[in-house]
Amino acid sequence: MFKGIRNLAQAYLAAQARRGKALVETEDQNLALRLRNGLVVLFGPFIGLSFIVLLPLIPVIFVLALIPRIALGSAALESDEARMCMGCHSAPMTKTFVNGEKLSVHLQGKDFSGSVHSFASCTNCHQDVQLDKHPSAKYASKRDFALHVAKSCKMCHDDRQLLASPVHKNIVNRANAPPCSDCHGSHSIRKVAVLKAKKNTSEYCLTCHGKDLSTSIKGERVSLSVKAESIKNSVHSKHACTDCHAAFSTTNHPVQKFASKRELSIALSGACRNCHPDKMKQLEGSIHYRVLAGGNLSAPVCIDCHSSHTVGRTAMAETLAGVPCKRCHEAVFKMYRESVHGVAKAGGNKHVPICSSCHFAHDVKAAGATEKMKEACLGCHKEALELHSKWLPNAGAHLEAVTCAACHVPEDAEHGGNRSIFLYVSDKETGAALGQAQVEKILGKEAGLENCEESGNCISPDEFWTIYRKLDRESPVQFTGKMKLESGLASHRLSLKKNAVRKCEQCHRADSGFFTDVKMAVMKTDGRVQVYNVDPKVLSSYMAILPLGKFYAIGSTRVRVLDYLGLLFIVGGVSVPAAHITVRLLTRGVRKKRKGGHS
Amino acid sequence: MKRIYLHPGPIRLWHWINATSFLVLIVTGLQLRYREAISLMSFEQAVDIHNWFGFILLGNYGIWLLYYLLTGKIKIYLPPANLGKFIKKAISQAKYYGYGIFIGEENPHNSTPENKFNPLQQTAYLQIMALLIPLQILTGLLLWDMDLFSRWINLAGGVKIVDTVHVFLFLFFSSFMIVHIYLATLGHTATAHIKAMITGYEEEHESGH
Repeated sequence: MFKGIRNLAQAYLAAQARRGKALVETEDQNLALRLRNGLVVLFGPFIGLSFIVLLPLIPVIFVLALIPRIALGSAALESDEARMCMGCHSAPMTKTFVNGEKLSVHLQGKDFSGSVHSFASCTNCHQDVQLDKHPSAKYASKRDFALHVAKSCKMCHDDRQLLASPVHKNIVNRANAPPCSDCHGSHSIRKVAVLKAKKNTSEYCLTCHGKDLSTSIKGERVSLSVKAESIKNSVHSKHACTDCHAAFSTTNHPVQKFASKRELSIALSGACRNCHPDKMKQLEGSIHYRVLAGGNLSAPVCIDCHSSHTVGRTAMAETLAGVPCKRCHEAVFKMYRESVHGVAKAGGNKHVPICSSCHFAHDVKAAGATEKMKEACLGCHKEALELHSKWLPNAGAHLEAVTCAACHVPEDAEHGGNRSIFLYVSDKETGAALGQAQVEKILGKEAGLENCEESGNCISPDEFWTIYRKLDRESPVQFTGKMKLESGLASHRLSLKKNAVRKCEQCHRADSGFFTDVKMAVMKTDGRVQVYNVDPKVLSSYMAILPLGKFYAIGSTRVRVLDYLGLLFIVGGVSVPAAHITVRLLTRGVRKKRKGGHS
Repeated sequence: MKRIYLHPGPIRLWHWINATSFLVLIVTGLQLRYREAISLMSFEQAVDIHNWFGFILLGNYGIWLLYYLLTGKIKIYLPPANLGKFIKKAISQAKYYGYGIFIGEENPHNSTPENKFNPLQQTAYLQIMALLIPLQILTGLLLWDMDLFSRWINLAGGVKIVDTVHVFLFLFFSSFMIVHIYLATLGHTATAHIKAMITGYEEEHESGH
């Protein structure tokens, strides 16, 4: 082919020499055009095709030429050092830390894909390791190792660069700052913005909050990490983070200030109201809420029982393992576990009550002050009244004056299982219990009620009568007596029917031990009961006939004055005839004489 | 010796049922109230017996009331129209028990079926039969079923008040029974009145005037 082209060129030059200039120019021009066209036809398609294929390479070559680091990167894993490292680390292997944690140190090419550090060689970050030495360093934990490696990041990314970002500013100089790799990854290192891109709201949040993230409020560590798995398994799995954390979005991340970790929890629980206003309303009437409103921040809020992100189904809270109440009421739960209910629950009986069955989940009331407990018992034991009526005279009156636990919990002084008599003061018209503040205001300081909170047998029959008169003058009041266990704690240790108090004589005798602890009870503002110790003599005093008209147990709380009156009646009943007989005997002679006189 | 048919059959029956009920109710009542000191029976037994005899007493009161109302003899309980005379008679009866009886005077009152009671008896029995026994039965009923009669109990001021009335009357009846039995021996012989309550016939000395 090349010989042909040379011949053609020689023929062209020879022809030019032979012909005249004008003629030659015309002929040459024609020939030149023809030659050009020949070349175009010959090479054009080839060159065009090549150009189209090579065009995209132009910017790449341009970028590679401009950024030497990237140009180098393509060869990062190809470097001698990398090849050497990968010689071992391309095989499955793990490193075990002092605390037993294991970390895979098996690396593959894909682990570096997309890394902004692909130009760097291994030892740029793993500075302890060199081509000629590989010290076997011991790290306490995975985190310890990650923190150690993160020191290398500062070699290139100095504080000034880091602090320019508000996120970094917030984190980077903190004592418990997470290692860089928590957010940016370890080998496939990316900008966080890249990681967040094209994600839905929750995924966006979890980009950071899915990591081991925490902050601190006044020295208290507050975890900010959320496990995606917990959300997925919770009843709120279909909700976006911003449904509850309404102030936040992919564009807004306001800085919120809280005085304490507890205040943060309380504030966050407010979000529940948006979807559960009914439950919140119930909660507002509860003892928990009242205690909280009274300034006790340890009173539970929504997330204390339901947790914040792993919100489970109600059924979970009704299991021995999942019931949240035990976290605060551990001693009570222990009593419950020992009870007939707790044992049956552990045995797998699903119909057995647990905390919320009696105390309710949201409208939790101080059990001592209401009839809710009795209602709860009778709610399941519907036949209770009927069964009691079979052997217990005036069963209804008994059930009204004696709590279920007072009979159905074995006596147990250690846990407050002794019986006590609570005398509740209430308004005669409305039946509403009188409040502590109201009672103390009416009675005044001179009553010295506060002294009776601790010391026993404090309020004497006389004082009791005075208290009654003072309160009654203000607005008619009545005292309702109830036999209860001394402490609510023991009330949870309900036992089998066979262990219950059944003998009438256990109560109905003057020397019964069930009437030796007497308390006057008024309501505290949080719904709990304030008690003042009362002299047990009050129960059998004539002074209490009116105030305690509705509390009476044959034999045990009998009015003692009547005993003496009875004695007087009998002595009188015997002595009048005895005196009469005596006089008759003494006057026998008189009658005989008179009879004789007649006859 | 004069024999007067003073106590008709139904009244004799009523009296002895009453007497038995009173005794049983007093004993069981004492047992209920003083369990720590008395152990004649269990508390449950005492409650049961007390309730049963309470109802017997109630039914018996009905028999008494019905008999006296139907026969019209109820008027023997009623003081006469002339109250002044009644008071005078009552004083002379009291004088007899307090003085005359010792010196061998005759009882100023002679029982007849139409004028059975002396003024003191009339006063006492009227109060007992018209007021105290109904009150005792009523308070007993309320205490028997406190659930059924809770409204009444509350109206009275509470169970303690109802029970106090019940116990007070119980004490009164207990002492009354002692005096009643003693007075029953004050017939012309010690057993005359008692026999009369069994046979119906009261024997009286022919006084001749």
